[in-house]
Amino acid sequence: MASTTYHSSADETFFVEDEAAQRMTMRDAGRMIARNKQEMIANELSRLAHDEYLEDIMKHMRHMEDETLPDANLIDMQREIQWFMRPYLIDFLIEAHAAFSLLPETLFLTVNLLDRYCSKRVVYKQHYQLVGCAALLIAAKYGDKKDRVPQINELNNMCCGLYDAGMFTQMEMHVLNTLDWNIGHPTVDFFTQLIVAEERDGREVEHMAAYICEIALYHRDFVSTKPSIMARASLALARAILSKPEVNDGEWDHTENVTLLTLSQHLHQPSVTLARKYSSAYYSKVSGKLADFLAQQAAISRRGPPSPPVEPTSLSTKTADIYSTPHKGLGAGPGVADGYMTPPITPDGNCFGHNQAMIKGYQAPPRCPVTPTPQPNHVQPYPQQQQQQQPQPQHMAGTSYFEGPTSHMAY
Amino acid sequence: MDGKRQHHSSFQQLEKLGEGTYATVSHAALISVFKGRNRQTGEFVALKEIHLDSEEGTPSTAIREISLMKELKHENIVALHDVIHTENKLMLVFEYMDGDLKKYMDNNGERGMLKPHIVKSFMWQLLQGIHFCHENRVLHRDLKPQNLLINNKLQLKLGDFGLARAFGIPVNTFSNEVVTLWYRAPDVLLGSRTYNTSIDIWSAGCIMAEMFSGRPLFPGTTNEDQTIRIFRIMGTPTERTWPGLSQFPEYKANWQMYATQPLRNILPQIDEKGIDLLQRMLQLRPELRISAAEALNHEWFAEFHQPAHPQQHHPQQPMMHPHRGYQQHTVPSQNVYGNYQG
Repeated sequence: MASTTYHSSADETFFVEDEAAQRMTMRDAGRMIARNKQEMIANELSRLAHDEYLEDIMKHMRHMEDETLPDANLIDMQREIQWFMRPYLIDFLIEAHAAFSLLPETLFLTVNLLDRYCSKRVVYKQHYQLVGCAALLIAAKYGDKKDRVPQINELNNMCCGLYDAGMFTQMEMHVLNTLDWNIGHPTVDFFTQLIVAEERDGREVEHMAAYICEIALYHRDFVSTKPSIMARASLALARAILSKPEVNDGEWDHTENVTLLTLSQHLHQPSVTLARKYSSAYYSKVSGKLADFLAQQAAISRRGPPSPPVEPTSLSTKTADIYSTPHKGLGAGPGVADGYMTPPITPDGNCFGHNQAMIKGYQAPPRCPVTPTPQPNHVQPYPQQQQQQQPQPQHMAGTSYFEGPTSHMAY
Repeated sequence: MDGKRQHHSSFQQLEKLGEGTYATVSHAALISVFKGRNRQTGEFVALKEIHLDSEEGTPSTAIREISLMKELKHENIVALHDVIHTENKLMLVFEYMDGDLKKYMDNNGERGMLKPHIVKSFMWQLLQGIHFCHENRVLHRDLKPQNLLINNKLQLKLGDFGLARAFGIPVNTFSNEVVTLWYRAPDVLLGSRTYNTSIDIWSAGCIMAEMFSGRPLFPGTTNEDQTIRIFRIMGTPTERTWPGLSQFPEYKANWQMYATQPLRNILPQIDEKGIDLLQRMLQLRPELRISAAEALNHEWFAEFHQPAHPQQHHPQQPMMHPHRGYQQHTVPSQNVYGNYQG
């Protein structure tokens, strides 16, 4: 279906394939041997840490997982930010995350921090991207090497100067305080890595699972899904898509089964930005493989069953009507548009922004950054479409940023 | 961090305890540590003030230190009571400790040397703290006497988690610019980026030797010098004694070959069992280094391994130091100490 779209525009953006890497020189070969040896040592170390500490660490991680789960129902109550805006922000974060060559887990941590903040504080539309940037900044500082951490002026450029430089640091501190400095969220790839090592899944399965997990970032349905469940479900789904044998990984509880099913229903029309990222050889070109798989499944179901109707395979075709970009009210009761209680508001002024119409009824906070009124010719960060049928979200402010010299992707 | 927001004026600032920097991307963030007193409770605290840079925001060191220390509540890890944020400063409120191990050795040691039973007690507490970090997937990455805090009850606690990091299984790739040179593990010196919990154990071994002898074991001046000093005592490794050695980025084919020195010749102060434990902590190959859990189980610590029963009081038990920690920890982690229960 959409597979052609992914490739056609691949050249103009950040996610560029490196074909020259095919030819291997002697030096590269030597390096590869060194890398393999080092990898063997690393594996040995992992095995030791695994044997010694896995049980304790898992106990701690399960605890932290519960402590750091966002609440999608609370995000539903946000007055301004709506679920249809989410894909734009996630696209932006995925591009920014790649542009700075941050660790894979940093992306998941970023979205976790964003969602936890949005579960606790009122966020105005014009600050949604700012919160995302602050979350990215914190996540990078937590996990990435110092020289990879984005500079604030770089982030500011990516946002097309929408915010004052000082707003980033203020929002960063506000997010840290709101989350009470609990940053140690076990991300999905912590669990994925464990299972992959355990089940000896190949790189392709790992990449497909990562792709699925990142697709899930776009959707409300998975905001409150535990990363450990997401890891298990996405890997099972990845194996099925790639026709790898199932693994015997014990009982599946109801939540895990539901997650697997729901994931399988959200694979259609993934974000173009994301599909492009995963079209590279580095990621085993899994976005193309997923698109091919879905096309195949669709063809099978169109052809119809020859004789007695076959039970549709788990992933097949509950498609068109179920696919939807996340929009507000999914899972919420009637009366979505109005009349929600707002989430708690900090006494010391969490309502950023001086849009008078908006802060009616709230105290103007003492230390809040002032939003510059967007210039009329600015790119509107969130075009007001209630439903976007085409999987072609406009980039958030700052597409042009990625046209500069791009660093090599080195995860 | 009990939900009540403290104000910085809740603390009376007393004398300055120290100064330092947090290295950030482009500059160093100034930090200073004060002794303070909680105006309400009268309790002493240590106040760590971090000046915030308007261009970088909160230093990554502060983010890691605060978030990790909030997860690590243990009697051998300095407790973080609160974080207070003012306009351009971040103030961390820690439990007050009277000094650090470096100062303790200078003031109480005989030319820096500590009495064997004190060393044993400190090592036991140090390894308890390390073990707790590791089972909560945290690497400290900067263990050295200056970062081990001591109070007048002779409790030892790990402090300064500014370089600490959460790790994953399988191990992730890390920066190799960690740990003060003298306490840096050989695999890290050789450029490994996939080190693990064993990195903290090497530091602990160096600290143990230093407590006994009063002098740092490997006081190198450069990366290269540090490596050679280690080889001079532990022996120069070869591809045969350390498979994969030649693949390390800092491997040199022309290293001077040294034979392994018996540690008991260099550290005659240490008894045989102590030497055995030290030997296991100072293994060049990280995968052969003993873990904190195993080290705590080593027979050098036999006197701490008595079945801990709150009522039963063994006269020889934890000597004069209040190890509340070890009693609490013997019970739940039966897999670790279980074999000493009988």
